[in-house]
Amino acid sequence: MALIAIIDDDPDILDTSSLVLNSKGFKIITANNPDDGYKIVKENAPDLIILDVMLNEPDDGFFLAQKFRKEKIDTPIIMYTSVSKAIGMEFGINELVPVNEFVEKPISPAELIKKVETLLKKKGENK
Amino acid sequence: MESDRTKNVLIVDDERALCQGTKRLLEDEGYCVSTAENGSEGISLGTCVEYDIALIDLKMPDINGLKVLTEILKAHPNTVCIVATGYASYETAIEATKIGAFSYIPKPFTSEELLRLLNQAEYKREILIEKAKWTKEREERLLEVAFEKTRLNTIINSISDGLLVINKNSEAVLFNPSLLKFLELDNIKIEERIIDRLHPELSNLINKVFSASKKEKKSYSAQIELKADNQLYVEATCSPVVNHDGEIAGIVVVLKDITNLKKIELLKSQFVSMVSHELKAPLAAVNGYLQLLSDKSFLITEEQKQSFILKSQKRIDGLLKMINDLLDLSRIELKKIRREIENLDLTELIKSAIELFQLNLKAKNISVTFNAKSNMPKLKGDREEIGRLFTNLIGNAIKYNCENGFIKITMEYLSHFIVVAIQDGGIGMKPEEKKKLFHEFFRAKNELTKDISGTGLGLSIVKHIVDSYSGKIEVESEYKVGTIIKIFLPAFEKN
Repeated sequence: MALIAIIDDDPDILDTSSLVLNSKGFKIITANNPDDGYKIVKENAPDLIILDVMLNEPDDGFFLAQKFRKEKIDTPIIMYTSVSKAIGMEFGINELVPVNEFVEKPISPAELIKKVETLLKKKGENK
Repeated sequence: MESDRTKNVLIVDDERALCQGTKRLLEDEGYCVSTAENGSEGISLGTCVEYDIALIDLKMPDINGLKVLTEILKAHPNTVCIVATGYASYETAIEATKIGAFSYIPKPFTSEELLRLLNQAEYKREILIEKAKWTKEREERLLEVAFEKTRLNTIINSISDGLLVINKNSEAVLFNPSLLKFLELDNIKIEERIIDRLHPELSNLINKVFSASKKEKKSYSAQIELKADNQLYVEATCSPVVNHDGEIAGIVVVLKDITNLKKIELLKSQFVSMVSHELKAPLAAVNGYLQLLSDKSFLITEEQKQSFILKSQKRIDGLLKMINDLLDLSRIELKKIRREIENLDLTELIKSAIELFQLNLKAKNISVTFNAKSNMPKLKGDREEIGRLFTNLIGNAIKYNCENGFIKITMEYLSHFIVVAIQDGGIGMKPEEKKKLFHEFFRAKNELTKDISGTGLGLSIVKHIVDSYSGKIEVESEYKVGTIIKIFLPAFEKN
């Protein structure tokens, strides 16, 4: 079964996201800061990464995503966002935001599962 | 009135008998008469005092009457001069009128002839005086207008807003130094076509007023970033100047510096986005748990259920605390206006703050010492605010302390400041964490703090309070060793 890394500084979000994805049979590893997040991705080579925009610093999520891409880690990334839309900052997927999908908090389990499954399926087809 | 006043008449004649006779005649008629019996005396009298009327004999042994006439008129142009002349000197009489004599009277003359002439002279004198008055008034008004103009220029040149007036051909008509400063121009020539040298957004705004002016005359405003990176932001207002035909004659452009407003706006929107993020995070977490609890498709044990409910409650509690802290922050801002200032005994205040935390201190087995110098001055302050200041600081000292740790509080009076130092033997801070200590919502995130809850607003509140009392805060901290926070509050010496 696919391995998913979730990197978010909110332990409750890690808890619930893990449980939701676990229930679909995915294996989960978690980290609550950028350094540990980088480490678990390097060490475990997950099939998918879920990354929060704001970790210790407001843009930590972006920087981490850029770092993965720079190191040719092209694992699909889902980015968790919270207030982007509310303050008029619509993130688009581009070079600076090298992610594959966004999920707005609060997270709907159905939406999360659907996006995870779609990305993993796409990944399987590309191989 | 002028005509009611006794008229002064000067008679200059070398014939003494005639002189005296005329004097008596005129005095009988109510004139006030002076006499001079030769030319030089006539000049000295007539130039010294302004007579209403002078009667001058042309033929005198020492100085010619024409010379006397010239001198008197030079000194007092409004003295009405009549020359008296014998039959032989008509030509001289004509010359005298050319110089400025009002009239001449042939000698010998009858009293009627003289009085009639003096009557006319009196009338002439009144006209002259009236004229002089008007001339003077006109000159004064011109001066006033000139003064008004310089005053207006001074005002225009002194205002901090940039001002530019252009005519309908977009040529500069008037501008002030602030405008040059805003637009970074060395100079503008009057009647130079200025519109091409302006910031494109400003030219657009001006053109908008011109093109709209056919339909309606109204002002247009825009906020223009004249220097990038928020260095200079102006609000430009362009208003049409309409002439008496209702046609547009030109445009008045006013540039107002709003750089600081923009900076505040940016800070405010950053704060709002921080607040919304911080408020949304616990809601998102609780929402996550509720989804798991309500969705039957997730298999959850009874134990997990209980833990989800507890965790949700914890997040909701945190959210409530945060909202209360935010309310406190805004209350401090408002409180600056309506504080209840009293003389506060800080020793007593700090003791009661420590008392408040007895349970927390016992739970972690933390020891507290408090040493205050005796004879401390009272602090003029609001009890609630200063109390909040110390409960926040002592609360932090407990929260970020170790089991069996210590807290040491000292208070002394140092050159106009009450200095309170709160030292803990707790987890301390890394240098980069210390830098952000007073930022709203900042909370040090490391392996030692991960189990400590908080809103990230406690020290912001402390800083707000200390700042509003013109005090200062010093922080010394070493990671895993502890922190000392020193609060300086201005106070008057006890006397």
